[in-house]
Amino acid sequence: MQRLINDDPESWLKAISIWKNLELDAKKEKLSQKDANPLKRKMGENDVIVAKKLETEQMHEIRENKECQLEKQIEAAALEQGHRITKRQEFLEEDLQKDAVGSRTHSDLTFRVSCRCSGAIAKTFTAQEVGRVFGIALMKQFGWKADLRNPNLEVFIHLSDIYSVVGIPMFRVPLASRAYIKTAGLRSTTAWAMACLAEIKAGAFVLDPMCGLGTILLEAAKEWPDVYYVGADVSDSQLLGACDNLKAAGLKDKIELIKASVTELPLPSESVDTIISDIPFGKKFKLGEDIKSILQEMERVLHIGGTAVLLLSEDHCRRLRDHGGTSIPLNCREGHAGEPGSEECLNPEGKTGISDPVSPSFAASNQDSLDRMPPFGSLVPVECYKVSLGKTDAFMCKYKKLHSPGP
Amino acid sequence: MKLLTHNLLSSHVRGVGPRGFPLRLQATEVRINPVEFNPDFVARMIPKVEWAALLEAADTLHLIEVPKEPIEGYEHDEEFLRKMHHILLEVEVLEGTLQCPESGRLFPISRGIPNMLLSDEETET
Repeated sequence: MQRLINDDPESWLKAISIWKNLELDAKKEKLSQKDANPLKRKMGENDVIVAKKLETEQMHEIRENKECQLEKQIEAAALEQGHRITKRQEFLEEDLQKDAVGSRTHSDLTFRVSCRCSGAIAKTFTAQEVGRVFGIALMKQFGWKADLRNPNLEVFIHLSDIYSVVGIPMFRVPLASRAYIKTAGLRSTTAWAMACLAEIKAGAFVLDPMCGLGTILLEAAKEWPDVYYVGADVSDSQLLGACDNLKAAGLKDKIELIKASVTELPLPSESVDTIISDIPFGKKFKLGEDIKSILQEMERVLHIGGTAVLLLSEDHCRRLRDHGGTSIPLNCREGHAGEPGSEECLNPEGKTGISDPVSPSFAASNQDSLDRMPPFGSLVPVECYKVSLGKTDAFMCKYKKLHSPGP
Repeated sequence: MKLLTHNLLSSHVRGVGPRGFPLRLQATEVRINPVEFNPDFVARMIPKVEWAALLEAADTLHLIEVPKEPIEGYEHDEEFLRKMHHILLEVEVLEGTLQCPESGRLFPISRGIPNMLLSDEETET
């Protein structure tokens, strides 16, 4: 841990500069009360990448995580509110105006280390020990002063069995909290990421056939307004909640709700451009229909060339894999949409709305999951990302419909 | 339920197939909602509209000044687009029914949300 600080002080200093700039941006946005969308979007983009990266375990991954952490934050954080904002604003602006050397070392920062240990590592170290080691190393390396009450900077460390995260939090509330959502279902950042993947075009007809409280549609409608959105659900209470959410967000005119079942959609075949859905899982939801009939119906209503982005549990994926194993994809018969076409689609570098440099390990494990996801009839998997939903993991799968389903 | 939505809904009763469209609309409570006019969006929706179904529904609701079909160069005709905007997006059916033209099955509309759920016997196998 000491090595982390001492070996590479440069990246720490760089990180602090980024943090300061972001803080400044964040404050400016707050003060001018602009729409927080650009910032949110940037953070949202890294959401997906970081979620993937959390799978990797090595300590040397920390630096990557750290940089991502600065632009996006996963755990709760600290942001001074109210009158302190102006004071800090002045302080920050002052600081940035200092000469190159002074601002490069950031020697006037006060800081606090917050540490959390879980899993096996918690048995070897206590959070306080880790915190202390870190704190002392930081003080020695950079000359910062510790201030437990009101530090400028909070360094947050989380050690668990799967990953080690070192980060500097930006905000007090989770990134996913939205002013315009009354009752949230799926985490807003995940919903937004799904909408991103879905390639929503202006004038499209976008359907969420299991919309629940409408979180995905809300996120999509906020970002892509010139689109026709329809949400369907079987539950009255969910639809009522969705209605409330729509009203609170002022999106009642953009999103229509219908009471319908995802396995019997009251829509003509090939009438929908895009489907985005969080398929319920877990013991809480009793899914009468199985995943195959759900996908079948989605496939039916989707236009050829249409996109479906689905959030699936491990369980769903397993069932789909079994299904894929037994039936040979019909596209083999259709010539141009046969094997070569499928291989193209399986290339993870393909059309994606999220253009970020991807580390080799990310591409490799992505390819892995992709290889394991078979096509479903004419729905061909294009991208697949593992996402952490807190207690469980899920897979965000993007499918494209290549041609009509066979007889 | 907006008329744009009605234009998409079809009946899924067993054996009905494509004859389950369009659904016959009956409304007992209708509201006019002002919606911000977005000419681009309306222009993009025009090609998707099933005109016969729209005219039928508009007729039931006694709407006036309903264009019979898309006119040449509609993308730039603001008057046309405004009329379509009003019909497709500003007319809201709050209470009423939708009827499957083939089977006669009624789907209720309540608080603006059409209930399209079928019972087990009615669904296709």
